[in-house]
Amino acid sequence: MTSIVSQALWIYFYITLIGLIAIAVYGIVVRPNLLKKIIALSILGDTANTFIIFLGFRRGGAAVPIIPTIKPTLEELLWFKETAVDPLPQCLVITAIVINMSVTAFLIALAIQLYRLYGTLDVRKAVRLRG
Amino acid sequence: MVISKVRPRSEIIIGLGVALLLVLTLFAVIAGATGFTPKEDIRPLAKFYLYYAINWYEKKFWAASPEAVNSMVWDYRGYDTLYETSVFFLAIIGAIAVFRIPGVKDVFSKGILSGRGLSLIVKTITKLVIAFVLIVSIAIAVHGNLTPGGGFQAGSAISIATLLAIAAFSRIFLEERKITTKLMLPIRVLGVLGIGLLALGPALIALSGIMSFVIQNQPKPWADWGFIPGVGPFWLSGNQFFYNFFEFVAVGAGFTVIYLIFSIPELIYKRVLKK
Repeated sequence: MTSIVSQALWIYFYITLIGLIAIAVYGIVVRPNLLKKIIALSILGDTANTFIIFLGFRRGGAAVPIIPTIKPTLEELLWFKETAVDPLPQCLVITAIVINMSVTAFLIALAIQLYRLYGTLDVRKAVRLRG
Repeated sequence: MVISKVRPRSEIIIGLGVALLLVLTLFAVIAGATGFTPKEDIRPLAKFYLYYAINWYEKKFWAASPEAVNSMVWDYRGYDTLYETSVFFLAIIGAIAVFRIPGVKDVFSKGILSGRGLSLIVKTITKLVIAFVLIVSIAIAVHGNLTPGGGFQAGSAISIATLLAIAAFSRIFLEERKITTKLMLPIRVLGVLGIGLLALGPALIALSGIMSFVIQNQPKPWADWGFIPGVGPFWLSGNQFFYNFFEFVAVGAGFTVIYLIFSIPELIYKRVLKK
């Protein structure tokens, strides 16, 4: 019974991810407003990060990948190896989050400048302007 | 100008194609392309990292940090982090370059902009919160090699203090305390320089004949040289403590610069652009 419930929860999680990606792609491709495109892009990035973290997850009593002592015994290390989640995706994602944030800042800077110079954030109008 | 409501067909096809690709990828993952996730077991590579991160009994591959994620960020996969730091550096340079319009100064005297400001309650609470943010982010940075967190996280946290100050007080409040882009840019460069020197330092030692490699931390079987893992009661995890600190400085100052630039009043730009 519990396995069916947990399976259903995982499928729910997957559907949420798909839904978020769909929203993000809709925002990036369809919305003409540059600001909304940037928001959608950051949603896409965060969804991808969630997915990567999720790939390293471990079913059944997973522990954080941190040993609480500096001098662990060999038994503690073996236990740690068998219970902790995969630290590799977390390592990749923490840098990705900061890069995402700085790239978003750069895109916002571009958008603000576009608005200042041309008075529009609509990409359909902006591509017709030459200056 | 009239904008047609009808979208070009190519746009729709590209959009649908991307959406289909992403959805199919996710379905492939559900169906088991990467093995059923989440599994009860993890990859052997991850086990290797977890087992050797602070293994006192087989020191040949250890990173001397009880936090597996941090040992990976600054030791096992250090090149990733180095290049991501440079991407971060360049992205902020890009933002600064876009905002550089001749004639726009980013330091104002009090006379140009004066307003009533927020209420005393907001200001007092913000002052308290800023103090907490500063303390907590420094704690996150210097404990990065022992507890969750590290340079990136602490830098992002401390930049929020700037944002709070701009929201509750103003840019001038920061300028009076000498927090300007002029000060923050060199600090940021110093942080990145520190990271670069720490990464290249071991390679310079290799010139003297001792085998070592770029971004080396602890001794390895093929490079018998390494940083001291701890001094007295302070556990530094080799150079990881310093990496975290420099990253904290670089990221914190970088985001502070971004927020300061974004908070230049639109009025000033309009005045310059009209000329």
